[in-house]
Amino acid sequence: MTTRPGLSREWLRKNMTTVGPIVFVIAVVVVFQMFNPFFLKYQGIISLIYSMSYFLVAACGLTFVIMTGSFDFSVPSLLKLSALLCVLYIEDLGLWVIPLALLLCVGFGFINGLILAKFNVPSFMATLGVSIVVEGIARYLSKGFLQIMDDKAFRSLSTTFIAGLPSVFYWGMGIWLISIFLALRTPFGRRTYAIGGNLIGAALSDTNVARHRIYVFMLSGFLSGLAGVLYMAQMGGGSVEMGADMAIPLFASVVAGGTALTGGVGGPHRTLLGVIIITWIQAGMNMLAIGRDIQMLTFGLIAIGMSIATIDRKRKIIK
Amino acid sequence: MDDSLLAVKGVSKTFGGVVRALDDISLAARRNEIVGVVGENGAGKSTLMKILVGVYPPDKGELYHKGEKVPFPRDPKEAAKRGISIVYQEKGVIPWLKVYQFLFLGHEDKYVKFSKLQTDKMKKQAADILEELHVKCDAEVFMHELPLSTQKMVEIARAILSVRLESGEDGTTPIIILDEPTGPLNDEERRELFNDLLEMKKNASFFFISHIIPEVREFTDRVHVLRDGKLVANYDFSEEKIAEEDLFRAIVGRESSEYISKVEIKGLASKTVALTAKDLTKKGHYYDITFDLHEEECVGIFGPAGSGKSQIIRTIAGIMSFEKGELVVNGQKLKASELPYVRLKKGIGYFSGETGKELFLNWPILKNISFVNIQKILCKFMPVINFNAERKMAQRIVQLLRIRTPSVNTDCYSLSGGNKQKVSVGKWVERKPDILLLDDPTIGIDVGAREDIYEVLSEMKKSGICMILVSDDPKEYSILCDRIMFVMDGRIQKVLSPDEFRKVVGI
Amino acid sequence: MKRSTGNRLIPAVIVRTLKEQPVIIALIAVFVLFSILFPDRFLSFLNFKTILRQFITLTLFAMGPSIVVVTGSLDLSYVGIWMLGGILVWLCMPVFGLLSIFVILLLGVTTGFVIGVIQTKAKIPSFILTLSLLVTYWGLTALLSGGYPRPVRGYGFITTRLIPYIPTTLLWSIPIIAAAIFIMKCTKIGTYLYAIGSNEEGAQLAGINVDKYKILAFTLSGLFTGIGSMILFQHLGGSTPVELNLNTVVWPLVAIVLGGTPLMGGSGGPQRTILGAFTFCVFYRGVYISPLHPYSVQLLVGLLLIVSIIVSARGLKSVTIT
Repeated sequence: MTTRPGLSREWLRKNMTTVGPIVFVIAVVVVFQMFNPFFLKYQGIISLIYSMSYFLVAACGLTFVIMTGSFDFSVPSLLKLSALLCVLYIEDLGLWVIPLALLLCVGFGFINGLILAKFNVPSFMATLGVSIVVEGIARYLSKGFLQIMDDKAFRSLSTTFIAGLPSVFYWGMGIWLISIFLALRTPFGRRTYAIGGNLIGAALSDTNVARHRIYVFMLSGFLSGLAGVLYMAQMGGGSVEMGADMAIPLFASVVAGGTALTGGVGGPHRTLLGVIIITWIQAGMNMLAIGRDIQMLTFGLIAIGMSIATIDRKRKIIK
Repeated sequence: MDDSLLAVKGVSKTFGGVVRALDDISLAARRNEIVGVVGENGAGKSTLMKILVGVYPPDKGELYHKGEKVPFPRDPKEAAKRGISIVYQEKGVIPWLKVYQFLFLGHEDKYVKFSKLQTDKMKKQAADILEELHVKCDAEVFMHELPLSTQKMVEIARAILSVRLESGEDGTTPIIILDEPTGPLNDEERRELFNDLLEMKKNASFFFISHIIPEVREFTDRVHVLRDGKLVANYDFSEEKIAEEDLFRAIVGRESSEYISKVEIKGLASKTVALTAKDLTKKGHYYDITFDLHEEECVGIFGPAGSGKSQIIRTIAGIMSFEKGELVVNGQKLKASELPYVRLKKGIGYFSGETGKELFLNWPILKNISFVNIQKILCKFMPVINFNAERKMAQRIVQLLRIRTPSVNTDCYSLSGGNKQKVSVGKWVERKPDILLLDDPTIGIDVGAREDIYEVLSEMKKSGICMILVSDDPKEYSILCDRIMFVMDGRIQKVLSPDEFRKVVGI
Repeated sequence: MKRSTGNRLIPAVIVRTLKEQPVIIALIAVFVLFSILFPDRFLSFLNFKTILRQFITLTLFAMGPSIVVVTGSLDLSYVGIWMLGGILVWLCMPVFGLLSIFVILLLGVTTGFVIGVIQTKAKIPSFILTLSLLVTYWGLTALLSGGYPRPVRGYGFITTRLIPYIPTTLLWSIPIIAAAIFIMKCTKIGTYLYAIGSNEEGAQLAGINVDKYKILAFTLSGLFTGIGSMILFQHLGGSTPVELNLNTVVWPLVAIVLGGTPLMGGSGGPQRTILGAFTFCVFYRGVYISPLHPYSVQLLVGLLLIVSIIVSARGLKSVTIT
């Protein structure tokens, strides 16, 4: 006969992270529909997709990092850097600017992982420092000015309409599905969950923990860079001030989806829900002309709230 | 007990109505003596000490201070008033405090004037007490700058000081409880600590908790042996000459019988050698460990806690590194410090009975079993997990080990202790490493599960896997091992056959 | 155990100080570097005045967090307290007049206390907690102000010149800094906070109520930030909601880490932070007047942060298995 110690608490926590977000999404849609019946109409959907897709790509990257119990502050900064690199050098390098940007972002991801693994600096600090440096580079290169591009080929990455939806949607969905596959069906994904779930257990297996963590940060960097490319393709221009304060909504969407800060649970499949919640709330608020600042307030509260709800109090954060 | 300083009588304590931690314990400490309290893990030593120091009350029992009955203290401060203070085994030192700050930690209220600490007064008094107790250090350096043994001495000085400050009257001789004080120390430091303790005996009495038999024999005046919560033996070293083996047997708990001196068994020269250890040394832990491990053989490393057996097996696993010597596996020399995953790739699997460490409790059984076996469940051409194969593998193991669970998808946190252990072993059964290290494999699980695990391990041995066993249960050694190395003080003392072992230990 | 006094008395003391506080080397190096590179603009009176002003602002905001860092946690809420406090002053002016400025102090203390309680009871990492709080406060500020700057008049007297050539804010800040150092180095509270940062479990075993003192640390942080915000109120432009720029929020942290207080806590403290803040300001001004400005400044600040963190984190052990 199997005993079930502490079953009810564990069970509640687990299921809340699955059911909660779904309930949340429904609530959001209902509320905003009440305010504006045009919320879900076609135009609304399109603009929602534009704000959601690149965001989802970046959020998937962040999800992997959080699954290992770490934190990656540099996701929004790498996104910006990648976007700016594209717009600045598209004329000189053509479409080669894309692999260049991605490579650079992977490199910074590698640096993040290295600082973490070799110097034992807590991840939030390391990535915070790197994010400042990255934004500094972005600022330096763009001189703070608004840059605009009109390279048709590049822009078609995101704006080609297929079956009524912009191509960036397919990119977003594709990356999301690949991320799920990576997380749930590959050894890489298993090891990622393991490191977050029980670091000692992972270390005692055949996993090279230090190297794997570096890989995870490199993946996050890559996806951030990709998100930046898609973003620039969709916007056609931007400055270093663009997408300001993406950090909190990004983090909120990962946590709201059910991936706990303590790591080892959740995953990219959950993150879609979180992204939907956050971007739709954002869209709804924009529609109601609620200021940016109050939006930040909301996301901050969601972030705190969902963190508290999903954190596994028995374990310390690995950092 | 008339001349005793502190005595307990008939102390019992039960946790949760089930676990009887202490059963009718009576012992005492006299003035200016060092009393040893020994026993294996779980014998009840720390429970008794916590009761003395006020962490929790006993269910039954009486406390006598200088012959007079007194109530048990309700918290550490009250205990200190009574003269009782404790020096913890580890984590008691605060590295970035200066010595004088650490000495008075918790008692600053007596040195505060208008919110300002009277540091000059503190420094002077610190220097005084350090001198009085022959602790050779400067009161103004940081704790982390001191050698480990001096740090322990400062901790002891702090305990004595606590008593003085709390009890007020200078007359109360402090009774200091030393919980396994020599753990992190090397031989030299141990010597120093003991010499200092002998000096300090003039000012205080000590309860010396330990399971390192040679130490206890050499430095205590009397010793009480606890086993499974009961007081099983009392020895007075001034009266009789006690052999280490007697003490050992009292601790481990088998009927004493004739002690047969060693007969060296020749190795199984016919079978291939899977692992060779030569002169493995790590200062403070083990020295000159040399042995061969053959295929289809299980070697046990047996000894009391603190003998170095756990460190040896953990070194082979890669959790610890060794300083001198050689470790050769399948003809390949291993690096002195290698992470476990590297050792695993070279064929050494490590299984620890502490399921918290190894198992992913919020994962289902099948994922736990498959994690070290991922290579086996991948699809043909891609590094993708084949869920079907994974499930079949898990079902196979569950059946083999008779794991009681509704399905392989059940999360591990909901399994009973024995079943958790089986899942943990199960993944190694599947993995089939060349060498399997067993570190306390059946700790805390019921007999039925144990039998199942022993059966499986025997099968594994027959299929060519060799093993090294470290455990606290002598019966396990006699069931599983072909050879047993007796380790004490970090050195291999004897190598025994299972029969000899049984005679020595008395089963 | 006597320490070696070295061959000559004076250099030994200096050598030891330099070894314990490498930031002094950094300070001297940076100072010398910029003096050589840009003698006219760097070694000018105006420049020193600017450095001083920046130093005072940075230090006043860094005092509070440096207390929290000593215990091994982080506190990023200071900017939030300042912003929200400012708006609250504007709201309270009609009712309480000039006394309204004390609202900031109240807010600071309350915020610190709440953070402390949540951190110790719900065990949320202080980094996430204070960051989210910061964002929340920023949002609240915008909500209450309606998005417009709300200048507040009447507090100019705080900064009226009392002694020529010396900014009054400096005079105000001296007792504050002194109080912070006093609390950390000379009181029981300080000893306990260092103990908690150095070995939390050991402090618990020694009988210290760790939760209580952690809450106290956060409350003190809020208190100091509140006072600092009060002093700098008019100086920084009254109650103006600003764009939340994560890069400037991080400056006090850079000052703390640069000064030699490790993020894991246990040593360092306000007295080290002063040096860190000063070095940072000298460095910043130097870069500012160099042709690298304005685009490289942020980059260099980021690099400085990373380097400081790596250097100060070197003592940490990696996660051990047993």
